[in-house]
Amino acid sequence: MRLRTKIELALLNNLVWVLLAAFFIYNAISTPSFFSSRNMVNILYQSSTLGLMVLGQGIVMMVGELDLSMEAIVAFAPGVTILLANKFGIDPVICILLTLIIGTAVGWFNGVCVAKLQTNSFLLTMATQIVMRGLVLFLVPFSIAKLNDTYTFLGRGKVGGIQMAIIAVGIIYIIFELMFRKTSFGRRFLLTGGNKRASFISGVNTDRVMIYAFMLAGLLSAVAGLVTAGRQNAVSNSMGEGLVMMAFAGAILGGCSFNGGKGMPIGMLGGTLLLGMIDNALNLKGVDVNLVSATKGALIFLAILLDRLRFRLTTEIMHRENLRKLQLADAEEARKSGTNTPES
Amino acid sequence: MNSSIDIKTENGQAETALELRNITKLYAGTVALDNVSLTVRRGEVHGLIGKNGAGKSTLVGVISGLVIPSSGEILLDGQSYSSLSPITAKRHHVSIVTQEPQVVEESTVAENFFMPLYDGGSGFIDWKALNKKAADILSNAGFPLDPQMKMSDLSISERQLLLVIKACYVERAEVVIMDEVSASLGQRDQQILYGIIKDLTSAGKTIIFISHHTEELLKVCTCVTVIRDGRNVGSVDVAKLDKKSLAALIVGDTNYDDTAIEDRSYMIKDEEAFRLRDFTRAGKFRHISLSVKKGEILGLAGLRGSGRTELFKSVVGIDPYDEGEIYIDGVKKSFSSPAAAGRGGVAYLPEEREAEGLVSIASIQSNLSLGILNKLSNKLGIINQRQESGLADGLIKTLDIKTLSRKQEISQLSGGNKQKVLVGKIMAHAPHVCLLDEPTRGVDIEAKESILTSINKELRSDSCVVITSPGVEDLMKICDRILVIYEGEIISEFDKSEFSEQEIYRAMQGEEVLTYAFED
Repeated sequence: MRLRTKIELALLNNLVWVLLAAFFIYNAISTPSFFSSRNMVNILYQSSTLGLMVLGQGIVMMVGELDLSMEAIVAFAPGVTILLANKFGIDPVICILLTLIIGTAVGWFNGVCVAKLQTNSFLLTMATQIVMRGLVLFLVPFSIAKLNDTYTFLGRGKVGGIQMAIIAVGIIYIIFELMFRKTSFGRRFLLTGGNKRASFISGVNTDRVMIYAFMLAGLLSAVAGLVTAGRQNAVSNSMGEGLVMMAFAGAILGGCSFNGGKGMPIGMLGGTLLLGMIDNALNLKGVDVNLVSATKGALIFLAILLDRLRFRLTTEIMHRENLRKLQLADAEEARKSGTNTPES
Repeated sequence: MNSSIDIKTENGQAETALELRNITKLYAGTVALDNVSLTVRRGEVHGLIGKNGAGKSTLVGVISGLVIPSSGEILLDGQSYSSLSPITAKRHHVSIVTQEPQVVEESTVAENFFMPLYDGGSGFIDWKALNKKAADILSNAGFPLDPQMKMSDLSISERQLLLVIKACYVERAEVVIMDEVSASLGQRDQQILYGIIKDLTSAGKTIIFISHHTEELLKVCTCVTVIRDGRNVGSVDVAKLDKKSLAALIVGDTNYDDTAIEDRSYMIKDEEAFRLRDFTRAGKFRHISLSVKKGEILGLAGLRGSGRTELFKSVVGIDPYDEGEIYIDGVKKSFSSPAAAGRGGVAYLPEEREAEGLVSIASIQSNLSLGILNKLSNKLGIINQRQESGLADGLIKTLDIKTLSRKQEISQLSGGNKQKVLVGKIMAHAPHVCLLDEPTRGVDIEAKESILTSINKELRSDSCVVITSPGVEDLMKICDRILVIYEGEIISEFDKSEFSEQEIYRAMQGEEVLTYAFED
């Protein structure tokens, strides 16, 4: 393969980072007070919840399903935990564990229904989403403020001057990127999403992979719940509302597809940062909040178009490369027969 | 070789319903149809037969307007076309009934019949009249059925028959093409079909009847055209044919060349690697008993639907089985999933390459390592990437997979190379028992040779192979023994010394086992 083709393919595969870089440079020049270390940290901090949601949604999309219930887990898992803690006086460290367990358990339930009962994941997670949001509205009618410091450490704590949330999300992304890249456990997610039947016949326990995907999404939603609750130092019933659509947007921008079998955490991180940066830049420019929302909608549309464009361009480049190879072979043959004929 | 058989030349006795002149169809790399000419006379039942891959389905596609020929001419009612479209075909009253019945499941029989025109054109549908009309048609066809029944409540056989009736009596086609229609019909429905065919021919309609069963063709048709290697070998009157001569025409001169692939039967060891005892799955296969030695290649010959694919799927735990035992290296085993079968040393190559075999959006490398990720990774589950890429590069070289790199996506490969990757997946497994379902399906000759050679050389070295193939000649090239499976039972066995393509082909047809009650 030629260097040029390699570069083109690399750029297409990391399209979201190309866009991110372009957007960053544009704003660094044109938007006042955008390019400051304080604002950079701010963007990262603001994006931390979304980053966890995008990663969770992305993992479910890797195996070819989707999870609408994630945004309800963000409120449900901390909500139930805090109610239990207030009633029985549970140790805050156990509370954190309990939050994570509740989120994972909801994910397990979703996964079992989708994998074993073969329910449609859209309908199923829509149902669990409504149930959980309803329960949270009932159980936590008013915000419960002033939480334990240990419980809120992930959301509001700082380590070495940097918010704990940024560090945690960073570490989580590294772990997941390594898992999907290096381990046989992680490798099975994309393969299952790419062709479930073929993976099953090749000896992959595809049901288990699907269940794990939903469990990870539940776990990451619960972490997002911890971050959100910590940041506002309160548990409210509206936490996570509307986040799931943004999670889809980030995942699609990051290279995931509803057909499954595509996407990597590094891309999802790019998608998250792009969304976060757009939010931030439009705010700094003083654009109306509702217009920001509309812009994000347009961005999702753009992401879908880009995905198709990327597919076309990749095919085009590969076709060109094959053509070139054929021409080279032809030229080689012509050269050979050219040298052979005079001899024979 | 066919001195007793007259090949019909043009004699203007009967009016021509459909004529093909010098039809050629080229696909990338292969010639599917090579200068095929064919005349179908009005009022005849014209049979069409040929081995898998002979070009039969391409020919049917050309007639029904689904395939555009590369060159040649089609004459319909005296009008000449270079290619047909479904619409022109319909305009000339040509209807096709395909292999897999396409119906609207949630609609009634009557609705399916009259869709999309319904009746009248007044804009309102007179349901009562419509149902009455449908009921009349059904009883006339000898298939009394409530026209208000939902299609989803009917069996595949009944749906297929209804589509035949629709083409014949509702669309009132002059030429009806029946593409392996009887394959999915039950015994009773077959009799009804034969009745309909008789009724149509007495009304002067024309039928093109495609089937895999020689006996059925001989009973139903007045004239049979045999397609072999993309050529029309002859259109022959049925009166001049019997089963043997027809089989000879289909198979052709057996100039099978055993030097092309080295005979490695010396690699057979004297220990049993794989045995099935009384293996049965109700409705699919029954009382299958077979034993394969280490290093042996056993061929399993059978038509589609004979139970060979189902047998494999039950062995590796994709489908269940009802009775019987599996022995691997003399030890009794039972597998609940392909993963368990893989751990037990059984590798399975599925027949459906795209749907069941490969993850087409993943790279060659990840497909090759897909089944053995556990073996490639350490205790923590971290994959040894050097080992993985070494494995991929090695297999690409062994199998001669044409690709830019091991990281190329499967979807960018040609069919033959995809199939090679599939075979590579089995090799990566290093299994004790290989069950290969049509590993040479839909590939060009070069890829076929390379796949067969790899199986013969690499796979048999420390395992046994059970293989099926769309063509008997592929099996004869590499197998040490061939078993013939027919309607779920093994009915005959051929040793390498007894291999004869015609004999095996006839055994695959079930010989005398088939009985048709079609009356003249």
